[in-house]
Amino acid sequence: MEFVGYLGDVFLPFNFLLLLLGTIGGLILGATPGLSPTMAVALLIPFTFQLAPAQGLILLGAAYTSTVAGGAVSAILLKIPGAPANIATTLDGHTMAQKGQGAKALQLSFLASAVGGIFGVLLLIFLTPVLAKWALAFGPSHLFWLAILGVTVIGTLDSSSVVKGLLSGCIGLWLATIGFDDIMGAQRFIFHPALGGGINVIPALIGLFAIPQVITMFAKGRASTAAEVIVVQKSPIKEAIAEVFKRKRALAIGTGVGSIIGLIPGVGGQIAGLVAYDQSKKFSPEAEKFGTGHSEGVIAAEAANNAMVGPSLVPLLTLSIPGSPTAAVLLGGLLIHGIFPGSDLFDNHPDVAWTFINSMLIGQVLMCIFGLYVAGLAASVARVPHSVMAAVVLGLAVFGSYSVQNSMGDVYVMATLGVGMYFLERFGFSAAPLVLGLILGPIAEANFIQGSMIANATSSITSYFFTGPLNLTLIAIVVASVGYSFWMELRSRRYTSKEEIMG
Amino acid sequence: MNDLPRNQHIIASGVVAAVGIWVTYVSYTQEPAAAFLFPRMISTVFVVLALWTFGKAVMGRSKVGAGLSAAAMKNIAPGLIVALIYIFWAARGLGFYTASTITFFILLSLYDPAPHAELRSWIKRIIITAGFLAVMYALFAGLLNVYTPREIFF
Amino acid sequence: MKKWIAGAATALMTLTGAAFAEGHGDYPDRPIMLMVSYGAGGATDFQARIVTMTAGNEDALGVPIAIINKPGAGGRVGWNWLASQAEADGYTLGAYNIPHFIAQSIEGGVSYTADSFEPIANWGADPAVFVVAADSPFNSMQDVVDYAKENPGGLTFSGAGLFVGHHIAALQLEKAAGVKLAYIPSNAGGAGAMKSVIAGEVLGGVNNLSDAFRAREAGNVKVLGVFDLERNSFMEDVPTMAEQGFDIDNASVNFRGVMVPKGTPQPVIDHLAAVVPTMFENSSVQGKMSAGGSPMHVMTREEVQEMWTARQATLQELLAGL
Repeated sequence: MEFVGYLGDVFLPFNFLLLLLGTIGGLILGATPGLSPTMAVALLIPFTFQLAPAQGLILLGAAYTSTVAGGAVSAILLKIPGAPANIATTLDGHTMAQKGQGAKALQLSFLASAVGGIFGVLLLIFLTPVLAKWALAFGPSHLFWLAILGVTVIGTLDSSSVVKGLLSGCIGLWLATIGFDDIMGAQRFIFHPALGGGINVIPALIGLFAIPQVITMFAKGRASTAAEVIVVQKSPIKEAIAEVFKRKRALAIGTGVGSIIGLIPGVGGQIAGLVAYDQSKKFSPEAEKFGTGHSEGVIAAEAANNAMVGPSLVPLLTLSIPGSPTAAVLLGGLLIHGIFPGSDLFDNHPDVAWTFINSMLIGQVLMCIFGLYVAGLAASVARVPHSVMAAVVLGLAVFGSYSVQNSMGDVYVMATLGVGMYFLERFGFSAAPLVLGLILGPIAEANFIQGSMIANATSSITSYFFTGPLNLTLIAIVVASVGYSFWMELRSRRYTSKEEIMG
Repeated sequence: MNDLPRNQHIIASGVVAAVGIWVTYVSYTQEPAAAFLFPRMISTVFVVLALWTFGKAVMGRSKVGAGLSAAAMKNIAPGLIVALIYIFWAARGLGFYTASTITFFILLSLYDPAPHAELRSWIKRIIITAGFLAVMYALFAGLLNVYTPREIFF
Repeated sequence: MKKWIAGAATALMTLTGAAFAEGHGDYPDRPIMLMVSYGAGGATDFQARIVTMTAGNEDALGVPIAIINKPGAGGRVGWNWLASQAEADGYTLGAYNIPHFIAQSIEGGVSYTADSFEPIANWGADPAVFVVAADSPFNSMQDVVDYAKENPGGLTFSGAGLFVGHHIAALQLEKAAGVKLAYIPSNAGGAGAMKSVIAGEVLGGVNNLSDAFRAREAGNVKVLGVFDLERNSFMEDVPTMAEQGFDIDNASVNFRGVMVPKGTPQPVIDHLAAVVPTMFENSSVQGKMSAGGSPMHVMTREEVQEMWTARQATLQELLAGL
């Protein structure tokens, strides 16, 4: 219970001011397309040069927690996921906003984020030593199977056609191989100089989700908006709170999946939201409502995103290994003050360590309060006429993808993928599985290659990839997940054919 | 049933299948083989699924996806052309913010249902454009220190 | 607004006659960007941010330096960009890592060689070290080599990738000890390679001295040897490879510094070469670097040019057998 002793430090006037600043700033940065939490934290590092270590980390901790939650804002209102973590949020969140329930979607997402986030930080406080072992348990073979598990989620993401869903996933996997191969350094599929660096995930995300939106708005032409003004429904906070706690299953699955997967270095943060979304759909009696603006989808995805924040720092704080890009940037923030994460941090600088962790805890609460306060206001974005909206989203997409690496090449990639995606979407392909392929491709490939190199040097490939309890557990989950998708597909096919006969 | 979506489905899945065949061809012919091991695995699945989808489209059994209607295309064309000129040429050729301002204003005018004849609607469009660009400038150039191609405005 | 302030500042400085007497006109009159070919949070990025933090001071360049990350494929993406797409106007600098980019240019498949860039100054030298997990039975390099002799090709050890400093060190070790080893390149850089050592996925690893220093402080690893000519002040107790009987020089030491693309005007290069090393010598920079466990080694343009030529020759010989 050491952390309680340092709780007071967070509420010192100057520290609390920094916490507020970090939270509000983080929400704004997180809501800006193209600014991933990693970039946002990196941008804030120079400000911490002037501050004491504990104060600098309060700013960074608060910013980290709230940028992750802030990403949901653009995902829900504009269908632009700010970071890979928010892809699952767009699926139901944006549909809710289109139905005029934007305020509710935002409230649910902030509440679920806070619940998941607080749980995650509590795990960090109480279970760090246990979690550190778990984080190290995942070697190349396990990460490979985990990536494959991610691919099986495709069946759930795309309800229209499993074959086209898988095909979209393959296109994504192929796009991920463009550029220099990470291990050998060989050039692959570089048919335009803009692709030399491969396809950066953030511009690709923006293009694949935002540009089809823009074109769909173009398709409406100069139609009078009067006919389709969306009534933005008011949503009392009390009802949103009741809703979140009524959806206990989604909340629990989201929080659980987020904290377990978020812990795994290198993989967790990007797929936690999608896996949680998939699992809560599979366990929900109302599975068919997912994707149509169902509250469980938003709750599971956002609870998972924020539950991941605390555990994702475990490898950094205990073993001094940054498990995610954001953790790597935070490591820089610590080193600059001469503090080494690991036992040094907790033994010699407990004030810094615990103030940092506490600031994330309090930051979750502040983020939630502030988020709930602006949700109603922000949701009126849905009332903006589509002519303005199309131009705004296009502008944001271009600025956002440019600012990731200050590169026009990224903007070209964003636009090309986006326009291509619009046409593919008209023929039953979808963006979510494609992006999933794009994210999981490099993870699957690198771990497969590394795993087989280790296997060749020590034992055989079969024994390396197919033995051991963790491998077998993961394979079992993969098989179960695929089997379940097939069963659902067969069941729904029976339903559709009946309808066709009747129609 | 109208034949238009079916033909469109054939073209769309045909394009995807062609890409799949190209990817597979490249994966199996390029060196070093070790670096193309994973692309080979993916492209094999890719090309099988793509040909399957193409076959279904030819048999007229593609059900998902509404296709494109002529009316929608007519609405999309002007906006898409402006957007592409902006992204692929103007952003570099004219300067990032200048091009963004012009594009934003043109797109707004193209799709705004307010009557073009009234001065009021033009003033409104100018105000919205100026407001949006001011916010973008403050956020990206001021706060985030993003360096744009060419000078900031020209 | 920013431009206006920068302009005013430049005007003021020109008036007082304080700066740019030897410069290229009024260079620099706007912020400069420094391309780092590794991701935010990596060792190169972290150090680049520290050593450039005083660039805005009146006695340094007078304008801030912004870090732009272009990570990918062990640095190839960023250096390709710098060699072929960046404007050689003095406002685009790049961070270099030796021996990485020279080794990559010898291996081929990239659009740069050592001649594509002009060095400005060197800020750091981070030797490679051999690490094993804290509970490993290996206690010296001899133990490692003995194991490798009993299990040819069976000693797995990690490093940050192919054709980077760690890989060079691995090749040197193989050659000097006359054994066959299984080098496993990590796609997640030095941090990923370190994780696989601590987690026991591999038997050992080559890693950066600065990262190994932190991991040892945290009690996770043992450091068995330094791939350098002398012991390092951060780890006086760790012997060099030569002390342990292996003929290995400092070819794998990771030198980090600033360069510009070829074609940058000579007066600009001269101005940068005069000012940048003094920026690295700044006491607050030195303090932050040593606090972060990053060994510094400031070298001027002439010294770096010599070092590049020497590395080119060594690496060509070492990589010829591949």
